[in-house]
Amino acid sequence: MAVGHPLDPYLRTDRIPTMWCPGCGLGVVLGTLLRAIDRRIKEGLLKREHIAFVGGIGCTARMTLYPLFDSAHVIHGRAIPFALAVKVVKPEMKMIVVGGDGDIAAIGGNHILHAIRRNADILVVMVNNMIYGMTGGQLAPTTPRGLYTTTTPYGNPEKEINMVKLAAALGANYVARGSITHPHLLEQVFYKALVKQGLAFIEVLSTCPEIFGRHIGLRNPVDLYTELKKRVVVKTKPSVDESDYDWEKGFVIGEFVEKDEPGYIEIYRKYISKAFGGGEE
Amino acid sequence: MRYEYLTGNIAIAEASITAGLKFYAGYPITPTSDIFEYLAKELPKHGGHVIQFEDEIASINAVIGASWACAKSMTATSGPGFSLMLEALSLAVITETPLVVAYVMRTGPSTGVPTRSGQYDVLQSTYGFHGGLVIPVLAPSTPQEAYDLTIRAFNISEMLRTPVVLLSDAVIAHTYGKVAIRERSEVDLIDRTKPSVPPDAYKPYDPVNGLVPPMACFGEGYNVLVESLTHDERGYYAPRTDVQRRLMWRLYKKIVENSGKLFDYSSTYLDDCDYALVSYGSTALTANVAAKLLREKGYRACSVKLKTLFPVYEDGIVNLLRGVKKVFVVENNLGLYYRELRGVIRDKEVVSVPLIDLDVPLPQEVVEVIKEWL
Amino acid sequence: MRLEILIAGRGGQGILLLGHILGRAIAKHTNLHILGSEIYAAETRGGDSRVDLVVADREEDADFIKVMRADIALFMHQLQLDAYRDLVRDGAVVFLDKSNVSSVPQRNWRIYLEPYTDIAEKEIGTSRVANLVALGHIVKVTSIVPPGAIEDVIKEVVSKEWVDINIKAFRYFTQR
Ligand SMILES: Cc1ncc(C[n+]2csc(CCOP(=O)(O)OP(=O)(O)O)c2C)c(N)n1
Ligand code: SF4
Ligand SMILES: [Mg+2]
Repeated sequence: MAVGHPLDPYLRTDRIPTMWCPGCGLGVVLGTLLRAIDRRIKEGLLKREHIAFVGGIGCTARMTLYPLFDSAHVIHGRAIPFALAVKVVKPEMKMIVVGGDGDIAAIGGNHILHAIRRNADILVVMVNNMIYGMTGGQLAPTTPRGLYTTTTPYGNPEKEINMVKLAAALGANYVARGSITHPHLLEQVFYKALVKQGLAFIEVLSTCPEIFGRHIGLRNPVDLYTELKKRVVVKTKPSVDESDYDWEKGFVIGEFVEKDEPGYIEIYRKYISKAFGGGEE
Repeated sequence: MRYEYLTGNIAIAEASITAGLKFYAGYPITPTSDIFEYLAKELPKHGGHVIQFEDEIASINAVIGASWACAKSMTATSGPGFSLMLEALSLAVITETPLVVAYVMRTGPSTGVPTRSGQYDVLQSTYGFHGGLVIPVLAPSTPQEAYDLTIRAFNISEMLRTPVVLLSDAVIAHTYGKVAIRERSEVDLIDRTKPSVPPDAYKPYDPVNGLVPPMACFGEGYNVLVESLTHDERGYYAPRTDVQRRLMWRLYKKIVENSGKLFDYSSTYLDDCDYALVSYGSTALTANVAAKLLREKGYRACSVKLKTLFPVYEDGIVNLLRGVKKVFVVENNLGLYYRELRGVIRDKEVVSVPLIDLDVPLPQEVVEVIKEWL
Repeated sequence: MRLEILIAGRGGQGILLLGHILGRAIAKHTNLHILGSEIYAAETRGGDSRVDLVVADREEDADFIKVMRADIALFMHQLQLDAYRDLVRDGAVVFLDKSNVSSVPQRNWRIYLEPYTDIAEKEIGTSRVANLVALGHIVKVTSIVPPGAIEDVIKEVVSKEWVDINIKAFRYFTQR
């Protein structure tokens, strides 16, 4: 019998290997996230049957296919309202939304905006590979300006979105940026975010060698990984002003916001119980 | 049971509470906002949740999520909002998620006349989403029917694990009527079947011996998979023709093979009838009175009100109309449901009576049109 | 038995409230069946305000939401009397607010002409309850619903500080 991986208890092992390309950064994201979950479960702070993954559509959203938890692989951009509704009905749930930069910041932009505004009790993991991976290399709102993509064949004229700044401005309880080039730090921000109430937003810089790598001439996963790592600057408690999203100048990673404002569910339940003394039937 | 004097919209809201609604998500739109506002006030008293989302897309996706958290869920909207919900309704179909959409039609296309009525969206209500399957559609024509059919819509959605559309319109929305409101204990309520096997043996899309799989919810330890991709019984993506065929046929059959069970109608004078005026929704009121006026003039006319529009119960409809000579399909649009019936009734003439009226069409107008054909 | 009731006036005359109270009393406090609809041009004063009720002892006869041949009609203003009088059948019982109606058409109606608005203003204290004065007259003449049922409904739907004065207005005719 093959020796199992320590994370096997959290995986639908019959679905492994994943559909991801060799060298894709998404494996690191899933691995670090599951390790963080494992630590929280062992600490008794999370209950396994109360953890759920929700994803839209994209390579990143397919992360919902593999963990052995309640999972929903829904439609492009709409994971957040699904997750929030589950949380409202079953507040004991820990809702984890995983999505690509297109899934979360483009088509799902309106939902992330309002989820943050509400401080909805969801952990949102946005994997930023700076491209639409699943559909073959089209422009993402995170694609660096000037880059050639399949839908900007003359160069991307658009300014990139900085989701860290957006999340901070709208009042998320926890805002961090991590990178698959720094897995220990990534696991640590997941670990922290998993027990936050309110909205926790984590942008994960990731590598898509198959598509993004090809666009910038770094098709080899190791080359792309090395290139990204060069551009990542680790800081302890950086300010939001240091979160600038700039391929040329590099990306600061770290925890930009850490607050403990009451989350949506707590406030919502407070109003209901004020009106009805409990609110439950 | 008690009697109330309610509009069609409030009857829907009251019925949803009776049916056990636990989650309502919506985005305000005329002529449905009073359903939303009423539930916002009343549902929390019954332990339910009402949330205004950022748009209709979020609302319907939230309704799907809540249903997977075990809550009976609903939203209400009209044409512009329903159009935004279509992609997610397709998700609800493939994931077999019980939910109810109260679709209160208003005058279209586009923003049309937001406060006024029409039945232009009758085909969209079931054919609008992508994927070529059928969503059950029920159509009330009075506040009492709005109440009764809302409860039925919840029952069908739970029984068949499907979204159900309750298709009303702006006329019924604001029509007042005497409504018998029942207590929870006075109605037959159906709840989704829960799995009878332990979590490790559970397959979320395995219909076991029938057509409808038992449904576990989030948070119960079943490691549920909600999957928008073509999936096998486990919920695993399976891009294979055999799996696609199996899934499509089962999703189709679980609705269509229950056509008879889902069928509901009422009629007047049908056993003494040459000319049947078939209609639905608010226009069924018009057709019914028009049939009476025609009888007063000596014609053997009758009216048939269809309360289930989809799935089309082909045998049942043919059988119902076997004794009549001519069928008139009366509707407040350019003759949409007529196309459905024309395809089903092949042994006699089927005539479309397309009306365009911002309000309930008047019976006299229908009489004038039909008299030409008698 | 099947009755069509038409109630019409100008916005601000309390037509919708009158119609709602009557409809609700019939639905909740009699064995009759009822369907009804409302029209209001705009929520502001001045435009058309109209309530149509179809009342029947058998459910299948409460079959429409618009009046086509009214058996009972109330017109609170000349404008609506002129606009809708063709919806009223011969032999109908018609109530007219003499305070706002100057020219009564030559019709084969049973007409009750009373100055509801003046009565409300002088006898009850405010013209705002002219609608309830008129409703009292309809109930008194037609006996379509027990007066007590109307009073119960007034208590349910009218805000507290207005209940007494509305009941007083309603009783102007019912208790005479
Ligand atoms: C409504 C809708 N529009 C478009 C698509 C096609 N689509 C699938 S994934 C995707 C973008 C994926 O990019 P991203 O979210 O960044 O995820 P990645 O694959 O890069 O992880 C698109 C446009 C879709 N599935 N649904
Ligand atoms: S296309 Fe890119 S993001 Fe998608 S699996 Fe391949 S490498 Fe990863
Ligand atoms: Mg991407």
